[in-house]
Amino acid sequence: MARVNSISKIIICAVLAALIILSAGGCRGISYIPGASFGYYIWEEGSRIFVEWSVDKKDTKFNGSILTDGKVTDSELTGWEEEIDVINIEENRIVFTATLNDDDYSDGFNFNIEGHTYLEFDLKINDGYDLNRINVGGFLENPESNVFRIEKSYFSQLETKHWYQKHPYSEFFYKLFSNKYFTFLYIFILGIVIIEILRVTVISRKKRKIIWLAVSYAVLIAVEVLVYFILKFLVG
Amino acid sequence: MKIKLFFNNLGRSILTKDIFDNRGILRRFYKYFLTGILVRLILIPFFFQRDLLSTYQRAAETISTGNPGYDNLQIITNLIHTFYLFILKAIFPAINEVFSVLLEKDTWISWLGFNSAYNVFTTLTLFKLLYLIFDIVCMFLILRLSFDGEPENKLRVFKYWIFNPIIIFVLYIFARHDIIGVFVTLIALLLAKKDRKYWAIIVLGLAVALRFFPILILPVLVLYLVRTKKDYIILSLAGVSGITAVEILTRILFGKSVILPLLRTTHFEYLLTPRLDLVAGSHGSIFVFIAVYVIIILSFLHIKKKSFDIMLNYCAKIYLAYLGLCFFHPQYMLWLVPFLVIIFVRRKSLLYYHWVQFALLMILLVYWGDLVTKYVFAAIDHKYFVYLTGIIPIIQRFYDSAQFVNIFRSIFAGISLWMMYLIYKDTKMLQANSLEKERN
Repeated sequence: MARVNSISKIIICAVLAALIILSAGGCRGISYIPGASFGYYIWEEGSRIFVEWSVDKKDTKFNGSILTDGKVTDSELTGWEEEIDVINIEENRIVFTATLNDDDYSDGFNFNIEGHTYLEFDLKINDGYDLNRINVGGFLENPESNVFRIEKSYFSQLETKHWYQKHPYSEFFYKLFSNKYFTFLYIFILGIVIIEILRVTVISRKKRKIIWLAVSYAVLIAVEVLVYFILKFLVG
Repeated sequence: MKIKLFFNNLGRSILTKDIFDNRGILRRFYKYFLTGILVRLILIPFFFQRDLLSTYQRAAETISTGNPGYDNLQIITNLIHTFYLFILKAIFPAINEVFSVLLEKDTWISWLGFNSAYNVFTTLTLFKLLYLIFDIVCMFLILRLSFDGEPENKLRVFKYWIFNPIIIFVLYIFARHDIIGVFVTLIALLLAKKDRKYWAIIVLGLAVALRFFPILILPVLVLYLVRTKKDYIILSLAGVSGITAVEILTRILFGKSVILPLLRTTHFEYLLTPRLDLVAGSHGSIFVFIAVYVIIILSFLHIKKKSFDIMLNYCAKIYLAYLGLCFFHPQYMLWLVPFLVIIFVRRKSLLYYHWVQFALLMILLVYWGDLVTKYVFAAIDHKYFVYLTGIIPIIQRFYDSAQFVNIFRSIFAGISLWMMYLIYKDTKMLQANSLEKERN
């Protein structure tokens, strides 16, 4: 019994470790590591909009513009190098060009915005577009077009998105559900092996072995049905 | 009654008589087997390293073009994968669906296409099932290598194999095919144990054609098997002729060489890379591994009573020397495991060092970049793992990543060399035991 406990502890620790690994470096909103992460990171804090960028210690140019129908106020620069980075902040438009290198890990700016309905971004990396590296409100919340517009309610709508609708869980659950014959067969085989382990360890000591076995297989079938509905809900 | 007898005989022949006839041990054996299989099954559908795709791409190319010698370097390995893929293709629609992706020439496009396929988990499971089969066969072969008449120790060997982190990592996370070569090598060792000396050497020759590494233990096997001076010549010739036979056969069948390309591959280069320059800028150098290898072979040569267990110890020493001194890829560590799991029974401290080796290997993965770190998880969600900040830029952000890894590589080397010393002590103990037995 002590061995079964220690095995279950190991399994729990492994699952927790996997979750920690998966959650590190991206899926917790917009966190990024300056000088290691690569791309644009845009988020909202209160009424302020933050636009920052980072690269893994390589010479890289970040340039672009932000256009709005509101009024930009109270802007602040972060990590800005006056001699090489240029920014022009107008009432409804911000244009910038900045370079990162081996010593300069990240740059950015943030601003308040009043009376706007949208923000329009045109962001480039090395004078080209790489939409997968533009994270708006969350890791891999990428725009679909080179010049993209977000509504005022974009960030609050994004907050209502559940964890299972975000990467990597969304893709993982999609693959499991769209390949359901494999998934159910796989779970069934895993279940049989687990029941066999239980049979030779726990059930063999019980009096009514057949009943325990029947219950175990009934539970396995119930788990299969449950997994189907859970996946349907998560993917749906 | 006859059926029961048949199954009993079958059980004895698979599990060995020692284990099958001991109810308590048989039950524990079954429990370990199930738990080990469970761990393997959990990992099978979700992880792979890019090389798995390359292996099956070569097999798909062979099926598509009808040219069995498509893979110049590993013809026999390619033939095994081709045959297996051909069967899979005939049975499973999932493989047919992914076949065009396998034939894609652009490696990056094929990798993306493979990972984004909705049935990638089915495909990965089927691809890795081949390695699971060889793994299971190996775990039953390993039972026969040592501890005859000692069921408890046989069970320990089995436990150390089935829960071995290197085996689980290399086969079910990394998904490399070295287990096929290990399987053939184990057959060669079993034949050697049963004193089928010529067959042992010929089969080892076949293992060399599958993978380069068994060639390292060929001299030890020859020295173990020789009984007379004539045997030196005959067995050396058998070893050479086994390899030559494979070479001639592949040249006739496919018009290509199997053995010669192996000598030009990086495997052989890695043996020669660690060197001591005797004078800076001159030609004079000592290849460190070759020097250590010669010491190991000579020390085995000078052992008067060469038992099978001592021979296995020397094989372990050779692979430890290789891992300790030369550049290696993660899957090469698999070649060490069959020998270590037997020694663990006598010296448990080696088991702990082996786990430390595994932990260090996880850090050494940084050597090979994203391909063997975050991309291993790409089947789950390739976009996420492609754009996720990798471990290398994070290390590089604070410290030179090569320097960082090399610190751990040096610790790995130190531990491997220390393990060699512990095995040396174990060999001394085995020699003393055999002398004592003789006296009694």
